[in-house]
Amino acid sequence: MSTAALLALLVVIGLVTFVYRYAMIGLFAKRSLPGWLHALCRHIAPASFAALTAGELFIHGGEVVLALAAPKPWAALVAALVAWRTGNVLATIGAGMAALYVFKWLF
Amino acid sequence: MHPKLAEFLAGCRDEAPLQLGVVPFGMLYGIGAIQAGMPAWLAQLASAVVFAGAAQLVIVQMLAVGAGALPIGLTSGLLNLRHMLYSMSIAEHVRHLPRRWRLLLAYLLTDEAYAVAILRYQVTPPPDDRPDLRHWYFLGCGFTLWLTWQLSTAAGLLFGASVPAGWDIDFAVPLTFIALLAMLMKERAGQAAALVAALAALAFAALPYKLGLVVAIVLGLVAGVWASRRREVAR
Repeated sequence: MSTAALLALLVVIGLVTFVYRYAMIGLFAKRSLPGWLHALCRHIAPASFAALTAGELFIHGGEVVLALAAPKPWAALVAALVAWRTGNVLATIGAGMAALYVFKWLF
Repeated sequence: MHPKLAEFLAGCRDEAPLQLGVVPFGMLYGIGAIQAGMPAWLAQLASAVVFAGAAQLVIVQMLAVGAGALPIGLTSGLLNLRHMLYSMSIAEHVRHLPRRWRLLLAYLLTDEAYAVAILRYQVTPPPDDRPDLRHWYFLGCGFTLWLTWQLSTAAGLLFGASVPAGWDIDFAVPLTFIALLAMLMKERAGQAAALVAALAALAFAALPYKLGLVVAIVLGLVAGVWASRRREVAR
């Protein structure tokens, strides 16, 4: 994507985000949002993060690549275990990066 | 001290402890943006224009895998929807303010500023004998977070530019998603959404512009909502 296109995209995303933030404070007189929106919002973050992580780990050049000697999926597994045990973001990143270096050296 | 300033500073003070958690995310975003090939000025500008941590990290990750404008826009649009809920929740407290105040506070309405400001509104009742100045507190929260976000972005950009590509430091972004997923998946509904989205991302990998990621997120949403409905019915 060109820099100009990316700038335009970011401005549009920023405007949309601002409209969300301003919507109930200044745009609509209605004071409540439908219940399904509440339900939906709880699932957006887990769905997005999971799709992006799966893509990063297993998709290369538009194709699914499942290889045994791939450092990133194994490092991600180590990170997931640390995240599950500690619930700590920095510990997860530290363990995942360290594991990535080890697996890259091993394979 | 002027009561407005006192209220503003109280907001800054109460928002301060949260900054410990914000700084790493801002730095990660800056590092990821540089590694994904974003010009530094544009990455910094995005921190001011978009001003939403999770969405900015997602944008960087999608740029890194070569996603097109449409999937990036759609995913950010979905991910930031929750701000409407904050907007609804805080509306009753700021509706009486002049428009310039509402515009400013809306711009500063992030997860972290909302969390601290809504507590003040709910816990501290408006004073009877003097004017309600709690919007200055909200401004203090929002401003503190804004400043931290800009500075930590800048720090990440500087750091990211000095790290060699061979270090794979950009892998820290998906690792962050894994850490956040581990927390979100403590809820059963989050598990269904994440599992279906991850499998669907692989199933639709061949779609152009990485649109498969958007399809995957939408299918994950359907699965999550369906799973929580089912549990409610069973109860």
